[in-house]
Amino acid sequence: MSLGVESPWLLTALPLALLPLINKGMRDHAHPGLLLLPSDPLSDLLSWLLRVFAMLAMAGLISGMAGLHLQGQSVERIGHGAEIVLLLDRSNSMDNSFAGRAPNGNNGEESKAAAARRLLTDFVNQREHDLIGVAEYSTAPLYVMPMTENKAAVKSAIAATSTPALAYTHVSKGLGMALSFFQQPVVTGSRLIVLVSDGAAAIDHDSEQKLRQWFKEKQVRLYWLFLRTANSPGIYDPPADPRDDNAQAMPERYLHQFFTSLNIPYQAYQAESPDAMKQAIADISRLENLPIHYFERIPRRDLTGTCYLASAILLLLLLAAKGAEVKPEA
Amino acid sequence: MLEADLLQYRLPWLSSAVYPGAHLGRMTGAGLLFKQHQPMAASSDPRRIDLRASVLDPFEHYRVRAYQQPSRIDVYLLADLSASMGHAGKQKILGTLLRTLARSAFGYGDRFGFIGAGERAEPRWLLPAGMHYEPVSRVAGQLESARFSGTAIGLGNAPAYLPAERALLFLLTDGHFPLAHLQGLLASLQMHDVVPLVLWDASEYRRLPAWGLLPVRDLESGVSRTLVMRPALRERIVYAYAQRRQDLLGTFRAFGSEPLFIEQCDIPAINRHLHQRTA
Repeated sequence: MSLGVESPWLLTALPLALLPLINKGMRDHAHPGLLLLPSDPLSDLLSWLLRVFAMLAMAGLISGMAGLHLQGQSVERIGHGAEIVLLLDRSNSMDNSFAGRAPNGNNGEESKAAAARRLLTDFVNQREHDLIGVAEYSTAPLYVMPMTENKAAVKSAIAATSTPALAYTHVSKGLGMALSFFQQPVVTGSRLIVLVSDGAAAIDHDSEQKLRQWFKEKQVRLYWLFLRTANSPGIYDPPADPRDDNAQAMPERYLHQFFTSLNIPYQAYQAESPDAMKQAIADISRLENLPIHYFERIPRRDLTGTCYLASAILLLLLLAAKGAEVKPEA
Repeated sequence: MLEADLLQYRLPWLSSAVYPGAHLGRMTGAGLLFKQHQPMAASSDPRRIDLRASVLDPFEHYRVRAYQQPSRIDVYLLADLSASMGHAGKQKILGTLLRTLARSAFGYGDRFGFIGAGERAEPRWLLPAGMHYEPVSRVAGQLESARFSGTAIGLGNAPAYLPAERALLFLLTDGHFPLAHLQGLLASLQMHDVVPLVLWDASEYRRLPAWGLLPVRDLESGVSRTLVMRPALRERIVYAYAQRRQDLLGTFRAFGSEPLFIEQCDIPAINRHLHQRTA
């Protein structure tokens, strides 16, 4: 914790805080035989307290004027967890239910996006020390939240996906964005991308090359939560018609094949209902618990208000003491 | 100056002064009290021949009655002029007492002297025993407007300014100094008749406020404290003063003098005290 001030030259007034040591701030009554008076611990304590209060009040006012603050800084932390990027699909279809239609509120159906939000929020709550970043993709990738250990921010970012979804699915760009989150060359703990989507798209050749290279470089694990709509082709299903066996007709199957061919730790979950998805998320949180080493960013905190408040309280106390003072006659 | 405003002191001892005055003395001379018979040769005053004693004298000498001559004494006021005596109305009381005592002494035909000492015995606060009121009144006026400082350590020099015969000493102090000093002082005043008057102001202890923050500073040491006044603490202060009173009483009595504790210049009270001494 390092303190900083806005205007250091004002700190030259700090020696003024020593004034109460010289002057009690009260008019003394002369007494001929002070040594005769019995010692009184309460009085001694209170007279010292008043002095200390006065000094602190003075110091508080001066520090407040000088603009005292805690400097923003990064704290090195070591925990158990992972660096996780949640890559969320924001295509139109995510707003449908698992049954493939718009959710109607009466029979407890919820949209895939809502289920994903609910479960991911729980997931974030369970993970104590993870660094979590959030990215979304649709027609273009959306940068939502950088890697942070701030759970509140992550949950807000997840909650922000409740806005209506966007247009298409460009999974390759989204993956690129997610991979760009892992900046540091040093790998601490495990790095994983949790891709939550309900569909896929073909990946063009250039992107495929790049993704292969980046996945290798950054040593990222991949978990794919495929929210399968009822009656849509799964990722493991071989096509009924061999002519349909291409990336355009069956993007999910080909995306899965691409991921498998990356030679990275990769796990796909095919979730047909919120419960299955819950199971998948439980798996992830059980698996990914390696020691992690990261820097926590602590923002600058302004302390002037605290200084002034403390001074005000102390000054009120001193004022009360002054009010209780016995005034000398004339 | 009315008679009631003067101090009336009688002595429980005989004055050995040669000069006639108002107190019982050891000298024979012009007095009213019969002292002894003397042979005619010793005091050749035929008016005082005691015929009956002369007839009864086996050696058939004339016997003459000799009378006790009342003698005068020296009266001194020893005043503690430390800073603590400058508190409240003590200076005024000191001036009043000085004037009263001087008038009373001159009324008896006694000589009166004053010795005031603070940190040192200063010449301006010294009056040798004399019969004149003027210098006394001047010193009293100066005392009332002076600023006292320091301790009462100079009182130890007082015996140097006192006569070699027994004198009556009024010691006016507030007793705010260590008992060891007092014992030393009283030991050096052993040959004199000391009447200690201990002057305490009620505002020092009895009339402190019951509640409040009371910042106090000692007049002599300059030490300052802040007291959180409350009835319990006030009681403790009063008790501490009562304790101090007992200590002072014990010390004075150990040297054969009975102190009187006063809060103002209460002449009747001092008179009662003086009457009790010789009762």
